[in-house]
Amino acid sequence: MAATDVVDRIKAHIGKTQEPVTATVEAGHLKRFAEAIGDPNPRWREEAPPTFLVAIAPTSYHLDEAEQYGKGWLNGGNRFEYLEPVRVGDRITATGKVADVYEKSGSSGNLLFIIFETEYTNQHGRTVARLRGTAIRR
Amino acid sequence: MSEGVKTGDEIPELVKHPTTRQLVQYAGASGDFYEIHYDQDFARRVSLPGVILHGLLKAGYLGQLLTDWIGDRGTLKSFDVSYRGLDVPGKPYRCRGRITKVEGKDVELEVWGEDENGQKTTLGSATVQLS
Repeated sequence: MAATDVVDRIKAHIGKTQEPVTATVEAGHLKRFAEAIGDPNPRWREEAPPTFLVAIAPTSYHLDEAEQYGKGWLNGGNRFEYLEPVRVGDRITATGKVADVYEKSGSSGNLLFIIFETEYTNQHGRTVARLRGTAIRR
Repeated sequence: MSEGVKTGDEIPELVKHPTTRQLVQYAGASGDFYEIHYDQDFARRVSLPGVILHGLLKAGYLGQLLTDWIGDRGTLKSFDVSYRGLDVPGKPYRCRGRITKVEGKDVELEVWGEDENGQKTTLGSATVQLS
């Protein structure tokens, strides 16, 4: 299949909201996450460290169709915006969407950029954080 | 209080020593099971030098750099990270940061991660509101 067809089909996802994912922030999960980073701060027994939300509701950038483009994924970047602390017991809903899709030519061939945006709300319906991520197919 | 917080000042650095074990721990804790982070053969098949660090693990390190510095003096409001190079386990990863702007209680910083050759493989910025 021609690469342009694949790009067009991926572009068709722009603006579409994905199925929301809801999960509770568990103390054991926070502990494993802080241990994986190697961050011993006792604050993370109760509160989520800055990058934790990606773990509670992975906004899978595995847009299956994108796997027909190139041979692998790279993470280009992440931007987090924090509005309220996230604590143990909070019930977080992540709603993601594909914000943009574009192709760029790189030194070793073309790259496909997929920009994802995720909004995280808590059990009170308040937005606690937003995440913008750049996934790259190469 | 923004006392003692001045533009141009570097914040205390944080040096991490990632291992393959830590990559597996991070895969499990984050739910990112992409094989390039724990399967050497898979990583090489997609033209990587071997397994590489998760971008978000490096963001986690830089997040620790920031929250260690902030302590209970304020709140992290935003945090932006751009991954510019690959990092492999078994090599030190040095996290650094510098204050770029202070306006009342609002502080802006640049943060970055360096590989063992001093190459900046991760570039980022953050905004902090001091209490």
